[in-house]
Amino acid sequence: MLSIKNLHASVEGKEILKGINLEIKAGEVHAIMGPNGSGKSTLSQVLAGNEAFEVTEGEVTLNGDNLLDLETEERAREGIFLAFQYPVEIPGVSNLQFLRTAVNAMRKHRGEEEMNAAEFMKLAKEVSKQVDLDPAFLKRGVNEGFSGGEKKRNEIMQALLLQPKLAILDETDSGLDIDALQVVSNGVNALRAEDRAILMVTHYQRLLNHIVPDYVHVLAGGRIVKSGGRELALELEEKGYGWLGIKDEDTSN
Amino acid sequence: MKSVPMLSGAFLQPAGQSLPEPLLALRNERAAALADMPMPTRKTENWKYSSKYLKLTEDMAATLPATEKASNLDVPGYRIVLNNDAINRADSQYPDQGGISVQHFSDLDADDASALAQKLGSTLDAEQTQFAQINSARFENGLLIRLGANAVLDKPLFIIHETAATRNGSAFPRIFVEAGTNSQMTLVEAYVSEGDSAALVDTVTEFQLADGANITSIRLTMEGETVQHIGATGVLQQRNSRFESHCVGFGGPLRRHDLQVRLEGEGAETKLNGVVVTQGKQHYDNHTSIDHVAAHCNSEETYRNIAADQSHAVFNGRIHIHQDAQKSNADMNNKNLLLSNGAEIDTKPELEIYADDVKCAHGATIGQLDETSVFYLVSRGIGRRQANVLLTMAFINELVEQIPVEAVRDTAQARLNDFFDQTFQEA
Repeated sequence: MLSIKNLHASVEGKEILKGINLEIKAGEVHAIMGPNGSGKSTLSQVLAGNEAFEVTEGEVTLNGDNLLDLETEERAREGIFLAFQYPVEIPGVSNLQFLRTAVNAMRKHRGEEEMNAAEFMKLAKEVSKQVDLDPAFLKRGVNEGFSGGEKKRNEIMQALLLQPKLAILDETDSGLDIDALQVVSNGVNALRAEDRAILMVTHYQRLLNHIVPDYVHVLAGGRIVKSGGRELALELEEKGYGWLGIKDEDTSN
Repeated sequence: MKSVPMLSGAFLQPAGQSLPEPLLALRNERAAALADMPMPTRKTENWKYSSKYLKLTEDMAATLPATEKASNLDVPGYRIVLNNDAINRADSQYPDQGGISVQHFSDLDADDASALAQKLGSTLDAEQTQFAQINSARFENGLLIRLGANAVLDKPLFIIHETAATRNGSAFPRIFVEAGTNSQMTLVEAYVSEGDSAALVDTVTEFQLADGANITSIRLTMEGETVQHIGATGVLQQRNSRFESHCVGFGGPLRRHDLQVRLEGEGAETKLNGVVVTQGKQHYDNHTSIDHVAAHCNSEETYRNIAADQSHAVFNGRIHIHQDAQKSNADMNNKNLLLSNGAEIDTKPELEIYADDVKCAHGATIGQLDETSVFYLVSRGIGRRQANVLLTMAFINELVEQIPVEAVRDTAQARLNDFFDQTFQEA
């Protein structure tokens, strides 16, 4: 489904990704782990199309089509979804309006009829229950005044509504207490499907107890330095990144 | 034709003489006082950012000819339609309710006209509102609205000013509202135009609120690209009165609104909301001034400017807390959104505080659309154009939603949608 070959990317002239190679097939769940500053978030942002990052070399294809040629919104319509590490607060745009606009943009792209307000409200209420968000949140500004956990649940809610082909979860576990982690994990597990791939980016392996990956990759210094099965995550948990000769500059967060 | 450095005497020549004697006398008196009025320049403090947009040529001095054309604005409630400030009785629907009178100045008897002549202009600081003085020398068909004690107008009253700029000229609409004790009303002033000759619309609206009166004033300025609009609104508030203002303005070659509120009775409250949108080479200048004269008064002011292309918006907000106005509570907030590198916004808070036990907060910001927010929206498949529209609308949504008359919200939204269509192109 997703094929990344020799991907190099920089931000403000500084190279962060230094040749990433990764193949993800439909139905698979991959986890990318690595210390802070290894390029995990950069990879997520580059795949989603953040223009602050410049791709200097390499290629990325989604089902054979060149992803890097597409605008951010086109990537989303082709099925790329990024759950943000830091979801953005947008006062003045209601969550409901935001979600309906997004869902209808997708439907329009697929040649389907747009949902009216009443139809969408019904759908949104169902999905909000799935991530244990009070439907009252739909009326509030996008992420406005949401707690960290509520923001992350709102991200997963969006994934459930938009039904992407590839869901990229950037540090979705950060800032969650154990109950919220359980709710978010249930949401992600509900996304698992034969025709969908999931790429999780995380510093810690605790998320992987809840969402069990098929493959684990270790990212360091802008390259994938080791790949394996889920046992690799457990080994990292036990031995730390130092075991692979990687300096973990900051493990405090 | 060249611009005039001094106000041309032609601008002080009224067309008609069909007013009661005391009002004619007032006009003459004001005209005489203005004989040597200099035109504002960039050295005139209150016109610093805007004088360059003021382009009055002598042929614009003539009163625009009376026309009669039904208004295109579809509004519910009571309405008075003025075509080039001439009364269109056929298209108007006057309130017919006990305790409430709506009269044209020309219909007043001598006593009422005499009483009115004493009050006209009393709500405004003459030095700061030069063009209101010109209006006082030129008005033809003013409206006097009187609400008796406890009178409550059951529906909003729309005053629709339709300017037909079929040739160069000017109009001087005038409204005076006397709101009696505990009376209530919602007044909507709408300024629209057609035609493409150069016109000056110079308006004055005054409100006197007796104890406990509760007035909502809505002002919608959306005239065309050849109309220079200069308006002044003066408000005097007595004890426990409440004034709420919603000004929605779209830019033009020159747009100026002075809003001056004096809180003269204890417990008076005023809330001023404003939204301005400019594009192309348009201009809009809002000057507001709130005088806390009495103690225990509240004022809350929220203005938002959005400037696209090479347009220019100005906000000047003055709060003056007088020495005896203890326990005043004043909050002024002005946020500005630049949608292009060529746009300009000037914002200036002016606080003068002479009492020691007051709460006075102010804030002003100027920014652009947040790229992180745009990325968040487009990463969900929302088109870039729509993301820009959502975020721009988010900037003013709260103020638009507060406008208590649906027809005004709809009219403003339709005009905003045109603005978005012209400002944000599909990628």
